[in-house]
Formats: sequence, structure tokens, C-alpha cells
Amino acid sequence: MKFVISREALLKPLQLVAGVVERRQTLPVLSNVLLVAEGDHLSLTGTDLEVELVGRAKLEQPSVAGSITVPARKLMDICKSLPDGSMIEFDVQEQKLVLRSGRSRFTLSTLPASEFPSVEDSPQAFELTLAQQQLKRLIDRTSFAMAQQDVRYYLNGMLLEVVQGRVRMVATDGHRLATCACDAEVNPAEKIQVIIPRKGVLELVRLISDPEAPLRMLIGSNHIRAHVGDFVFTSKLVDGRFPDYERVVPRNGNKTLLADRQELRTVLQRAAILSNEKYRGVRLLLNPGQLQVFANNPEQEEAEESLLVDYDSENMEIGFNVTYLLDVLNVVGEEQVKIILSDPNSSVLVQEAEDTDSLYVVMPMRL
Amino acid sequence: MSVDNDSAVPAQHQRKIIHFDCDCFYAAVEMRDHPPYRDIPLAIGGRPDKRGVIATCNYPARTFGVRSAMPSSHALRLCPNLTLIPGNMTKYRDVSRAFMAILAQFSDHVEPLSLDEAFIDVSSSDAFQGSATRIASHIRERVRNELGITVSAGVAPNKFLAKIASDWHKPDGMKVIPPHEVESFVLPLPVEKIWGVGKVTAARMHELGLYTCADVQGWSQQQLQERFGRFGQQLFRLSRGEDQRPVEAREERLSLSVEHTYDQDLRDLASCLAQLPRLEEELQQRLARRQLLEQIQGRVVKMKFHDFQQTTVERHLQRPDSDYASLLTAAWQRGQRPVRLIGVGVRLKTAATTQQPQQLSLVW
Repeated sequence: MKFVISREALLKPLQLVAGVVERRQTLPVLSNVLLVAEGDHLSLTGTDLEVELVGRAKLEQPSVAGSITVPARKLMDICKSLPDGSMIEFDVQEQKLVLRSGRSRFTLSTLPASEFPSVEDSPQAFELTLAQQQLKRLIDRTSFAMAQQDVRYYLNGMLLEVVQGRVRMVATDGHRLATCACDAEVNPAEKIQVIIPRKGVLELVRLISDPEAPLRMLIGSNHIRAHVGDFVFTSKLVDGRFPDYERVVPRNGNKTLLADRQELRTVLQRAAILSNEKYRGVRLLLNPGQLQVFANNPEQEEAEESLLVDYDSENMEIGFNVTYLLDVLNVVGEEQVKIILSDPNSSVLVQEAEDTDSLYVVMPMRL
Repeated sequence: MSVDNDSAVPAQHQRKIIHFDCDCFYAAVEMRDHPPYRDIPLAIGGRPDKRGVIATCNYPARTFGVRSAMPSSHALRLCPNLTLIPGNMTKYRDVSRAFMAILAQFSDHVEPLSLDEAFIDVSSSDAFQGSATRIASHIRERVRNELGITVSAGVAPNKFLAKIASDWHKPDGMKVIPPHEVESFVLPLPVEKIWGVGKVTAARMHELGLYTCADVQGWSQQQLQERFGRFGQQLFRLSRGEDQRPVEAREERLSLSVEHTYDQDLRDLASCLAQLPRLEEELQQRLARRQLLEQIQGRVVKMKFHDFQQTTVERHLQRPDSDYASLLTAAWQRGQRPVRLIGVGVRLKTAATTQQPQQLSLVW
């Protein structure tokens, strides 16, 4: 195998593909990236057996075809550190990969391409096309609420739901829930619900570069595949039953607070400085027309904030992990945010005042 | 209860404890709501073809030898005419709540032991001129009139004796052990009645010639300690009718678990492990519903083998091998024979450790 490629053509797909490769691996070949040269194209593949990403790059001249795997991180670090505009020659000689560029020369170890595992394809996939920006919005507005390493493994991922005319994503870590939906030209025979693992979600959103361009998804029984630009992303699905978001979204809230989103956000950010670092608790005191925010920490330091809000129900005191509120305020867009509450021990609903394609549910904290 | 001024303990420290125990509680509630059940053998429990066990039975059923915790199939063999009905826990819980509410009117120190049983410390109560006997009679009367069930009571200077006393004239009875009668009461008491003495310990005590508390009193504290270790100290005190344990209003749960008895024994470790997801899921839901997810301190697995021997394995959450699969495997290793019941549970942090903020969980 032999080919020449420009540093710029290689670097972007290589960085994305290398992102899938885990630092610590049980199988040596999994820390490698698979390179396949054919004609004037190079394909690059990285996998951790759960998520697979295939990228494509254009070669400067037709290649001597072939395939090989090389350590992903080392290859990426070398390419990154070469000067802009470099041309890099790849040449496989006696089971080593020799890289030449200008006056630099590197010899990398390899493993045969035949040892590289490929993620299997699921038959009978349901096809769905969204604009890249639609998927990005769905993920950006919800992914923060996914659990990390929860024993309820199905929470370490995101629910993708497809019903007639609508695509929805839901994420929850058991303390808060985020969901966002968009209209789409889809018509599944019955409701589709799959759970994409956390890592798959985070890698998928990194691929989005062209907001208007279409993104084609194939949802199989065990896998999901997405074609995004020059990339083919495949992820295993999480087998499990995701909580029913409709049961989590509170319907009995009888107190509504309207606040300026930016103002509320800065108030909470300031108060958070003196909240307990571990629990991040803040106390919200709702009075007609006014919201007060209190925080204190084990050092007995205290923060007190207040802002004018639109609220005309009875006084109420409620505690929250301030991070959960800030996470929501950081992703929603509109000027005004609406918070619907019932009592200090029940979930509250946070949403944009006008737009309701996104819903956020946050459980309070007993302080 | 009269206060005996000659007793060694100063009068102001003389406690007055009442133990209340409802008579065949679940059955009593059912008989109240369906009077025809009163005169026929009745049991509340699981179906025999599902390996159910008897939770409670009424006195007509007891004359046939039916007892609680007995497999339903066995009960039906003893008493073929037994009316076996599934329980209505919601209803029993409501009755229990009303029962505990009556007790709470007479003392701040109420310690429920289960739905139908509680200690109450009335030492500082002013009701009925401070007479524990009258308070007990009054409460029994009210439970009968307001809840339509009967409750037996034991009145004594401590929990150990109060509990024995409530059983003395059961059902629908009451026994008072005033301080000056404690000694004569305990002397002939069989060692089996001592709190903490089960079948195994009783057999060991019998071998040593210890049949009654009088026999135990003949031994010195040191002798008892040599034979029974730390439990010897407890034997020494309890055999003299002494028990300092306070009546504690335990508001918080210390543990929570779910368990399942299988229709057919699970023959190997793999089939036990296969049951874990369902048990864990249910436990998770119960914990979430009670907002206890953040208070978990450790995990517990209980395993009952086909010969009714059982074992439990408990590990602190911080141990890397505290996952249920590891606990279950450890429990299986101890028995390595067919399993009829698996329970999974959690140990919860106590109040002292939960003064910290508590993040509530979503319920689904």
C-alpha cells in the first residue's frame, strides 16, 4: 500500500475517527485506525466495538491499493505536529508503516487489516432523513441530561423516538429529564424507540458540520447507522426499557414563574459560587413579583440574590442542585423562561415561554 | 401500674412500657369486614400452587395446627376446609396507621415493630393519673370500638417483659407485670422466652441444664460469658428481668428489599443470576418511589435454599464487589443447592449520616 495525502485532507477525518478509539483497550487492534486506500480515496475506520466511525479523504494521486491498521493516537499526533500544507507519503514496508514528509520520517508498527473488527449491520432498517441542524438541535438540547455510568445502564444513553411526522430525543439521569422533538417527514408503521449509547450520541453530534445538508439515518433492531457528509457512523443500540417520559413530565403544576432567561442564569451562576461544592444546593424563595436565591457552604459563606419575575401565586421555598437549572438555561434560546411548580417535593417543569418543542423536568433537592 | 418504692431502682427511673400486639391482624381485619369468616378456619396467604406461605390465620384455623409462615400447601393438608384468601395490604396498612395514631395520642415514644405490633413508653404520661394499666385498657377499648379488631397488651417495666406479657393472655387479653412481681415472674420462665434465644441456643442451654431463668440466674456473669460470649451478658441481665433498651420512635427505614419465592427451585447459579434484572428493577422502583435512592449505604442479597436454610450477604457500596451479581454468587457459593427464594435489598444511611442535602429522584 502506498499513497500521498495532504495534511489538511487527512487531519479532520483522522481526528474524528481517532475520537472513537478508546485510550485503554483490551484488544491491541482496537487502539489502531484502519486505513484502506483505493483509487484516489482513503477510508479511515475507528471502533470500540460499540461505536464505529468510517471517514473518507481524497488522495493527491491514485494510490497503490491496500489496507493496514496503525496506532491511531500516534498517527494523529504526528500529523497534527507537521507544518501546515505538508504532503505526507504513506508506504507499507515489511509490516511497518513508513511516513515521509519533507525532512521527517516515521516508522510505525502495524497490525493486519484482517484483524480489525467490523460492527455488524442490522437487517431491516427504518430509514429517516433529517437536516443536520435538526439532529444537532435535538442532541444539543438534551444530551446534558444523560447519565454517566449509572447501574441503570439504559440511562447512559439517549432515547430516539420516531412517530408519524415527529422525531424526539429524551435523556435522563434519574434526577432531571430533557426532551426535544422536531417535525419530520416520517411515517413508521408503529412507534420506534431505540436507545443510543452515550458515547454514540456524543460522537454523532461531532460529525455535524453542514447545518443545511441532509443526514440519513438507518435504524435497525440492534444498530443505528448515520450517513453524515463523508462519514458513516454506526452504533450498537442499548437493550433496555427507557423510562416513559410522558409519565415523568408533571401535569399538576399550579404555580407559574416567568423570568428573563439571561438574568436568571447570571443570578444562579453568582449564587452557585458559594453553594456547597459537592451538593450544589441553592434555595429559591418565590414571592409575588420576586424571586430570591440563597446559597451557603460549609464555611458559612452566603450568597443572596434577587430578581424581578412574573409570579403571582403564594410564597414558596424550594431547593435545587443549581447545576441542573443552569444546564437547562444554557441550552434553551428564548428571552423568557417559564417554570411551572407545584410543591417543594415535586418535580418542576422548565421550558421556553413561547416555544415548547423542548421540555425539561427537574427534581428539587431537600436542603 | 403501681410504683414500688422499695425497689432498688429509684422511682423516677421506673419505666412503664406497654407492648401492644393485634390478634391475628390480617385475619381480624378480614373477619371484621366479612362476618361469615369469623367461625370458619380462615387464612391470609399465597396460593399453594405458587408456593405461597400463610401470613396470618384466625383461631379456628389454629386449632388445626395452621400457623403463620407455614407453606400454604401444608396448611391445606392440615385443614382441608381452610378458606385461603390473598391479603389486601393497602387495607391493612390503613388500619395499622389508625392503630398507631391512637397509640401516638398517649406518648411521643411509640416504636412500631410491624404493622400490628408496637411498644409505647408511657412513663411520663399524665393520662389516667399515670396508670399504665388503665392507659392500656383504654387503648384496647378504643381499638376494639374504632377499628373493630382486638389487641392484646403487656404492661411491664421494660420491653423484654412487656413483650412476653402481651402474649400471656392472648388473644384479647392483657397482663401486667408490676416491678415487685418481676422477680417471681421471671424465675419459672423457660429460656426460650428470652429475647435472642432461638432453637439452636435453647438446645445448647438445655444440654447445660439451663431450662428456666432461675437456672440461668444460678450462673455468674463470667460463667455465662465464657459459654455464650457477648450474648452471655445479655442472658445475665434478661434472666433477671432487666432490660434497658429504650423505646425508640424509628421514623426512618434502615433497609428496604424485595424478594421472590420461585414456583420451581432454581437449580444453578446461572438461573439465579437470570432472575436478578427483574428483582433489581422492582427494588429500584420502590427506592425511587420512596425517595431513598440517594441514601443507599450497602447492598444485600438473601438466598433461601430448598431445605429452608438461608443466608444473606451484605457489602458496603464502596466495595468494588458490591454489585448484586457478586453478592448473589457469594450467597450461592455458601449453599450450592437448589434455591427457592432470592431477595435483593439495600442498607440505608441513618439519620446521622443523612443530614446532608438530599437530591430527590424522578419517579417513573
